[in-house]
Amino acid sequence: MELTISGTTKTFPDDLSVTELLEAEQVATPQYVTVSINEELVDQGSFDSRKLASGDKVEFLYFMGGGTRELY
Amino acid sequence: MSFTDSQLERYSRNIILKEVGVRGQKKLLAGRVLIIGAGGLGAPAAMYLAAAGVGTIGLADADVVDLSNLQRQIIHATSDVGAPKVISAKETIEALNPEVTVNTLQGLVTSENIMTLIEGYDFVIDGTDNFPAKFLINDACVIGAKAFSHAGIIRFQGQLITYIPGQGPCYRCLFPSPPPPDAVPTCRQAGVIGAMAGVIGSLQAMEAIKYLCGIGTPLTSNLLTYNALTMEFRKIKVAKRSTCQVCGHNPTIVKPLDYEIAACDLKSKPA
Amino acid sequence: MADKTLPTPDAHLDITGVVCPVTFVKVKVALDELEPEQVLSVRLNDGEPVQNVPMSLKDEGHKVLKLSDNNDGTFTLLIRRGQD
Repeated sequence: MELTISGTTKTFPDDLSVTELLEAEQVATPQYVTVSINEELVDQGSFDSRKLASGDKVEFLYFMGGGTRELY
Repeated sequence: MSFTDSQLERYSRNIILKEVGVRGQKKLLAGRVLIIGAGGLGAPAAMYLAAAGVGTIGLADADVVDLSNLQRQIIHATSDVGAPKVISAKETIEALNPEVTVNTLQGLVTSENIMTLIEGYDFVIDGTDNFPAKFLINDACVIGAKAFSHAGIIRFQGQLITYIPGQGPCYRCLFPSPPPPDAVPTCRQAGVIGAMAGVIGSLQAMEAIKYLCGIGTPLTSNLLTYNALTMEFRKIKVAKRSTCQVCGHNPTIVKPLDYEIAACDLKSKPA
Repeated sequence: MADKTLPTPDAHLDITGVVCPVTFVKVKVALDELEPEQVLSVRLNDGEPVQNVPMSLKDEGHKVLKLSDNNDGTFTLLIRRGQD
């Protein structure tokens, strides 16, 4: 299936969960990333169960602090 | 009120703009903006707002100017090293535009004082460098029904979003809770280019100016991200989260709360 | 200026003592103090002001009723204030 990740369309295997997508995209800190699918924010607790559908537009939102430190 | 000749000259480039005009300039002069954090983001925001003629600027910061701040915190000068940031920033603003009233709080913004602090302002700019402060500002602004600009920067990336009561998601919709203080094993220093703070802090000032003048479309319901290396700006559309703890259907956070600050942030902390 | 079809100005402004862009700014301030459809008479210098000010006012939705040469290096501009 085709998914648009951060504006770029790519091909992925079918029946992919959000957790699997985060792995496939090598997101460094999946526990701190916010995921939106088609402009809807997905609850962290449903990353394993939520399956992606072909054509979904996915965005990853990352914590950004004040500039000089990774997270805190 | 009527303008003096020197005001007409000073603000001529604002007034010439059809969207701002005489009325917009009057709104700016009557406007009150609170900037929490007089560091990388707060510095350009404060200077552009002062230059534009925003009548009252509030500054809150507990820190003193460190030599390592000067690479990006352009409101402070070498001679200010060791001085409280709010005092140094106030002096710069007053030199730039003596018409601006500058209120200062030299101390930490906490759940105890934030509601009183934001009360007298039209718009709040989050120029802080840590997540406890960012969540505190968000919660207080949602609870106090105050418009504010959130922003964050790291390395070559920055992002911002505007919250206006009743319009779109808040910061906590995007990120339900801060990462725990022990989330990262060490307080790894990441670095940032000063101009990054300049870009994002200036965008925050622009949002405040638009809000005060009542012009344009605010950056609500959209997270604007900026990657300086690829020179890409992206507007990511985001919807309110109905389960949001502070602005959702059944809010569980009804007063501001303090999160634990990471140990490394309690020591010397160049913002 | 004896043209009977032209309205009597509701206000007068002299911007011969200032240079661009304060010229236009002063006219904007004066117009802001009027109601829509009221008329402002402006005395302005030949050259840059007379070239720019009427055009800028048109861009903002005001109506230039007349521009007359006073034959002393100045012009008189009659403007009807546009709607908000």
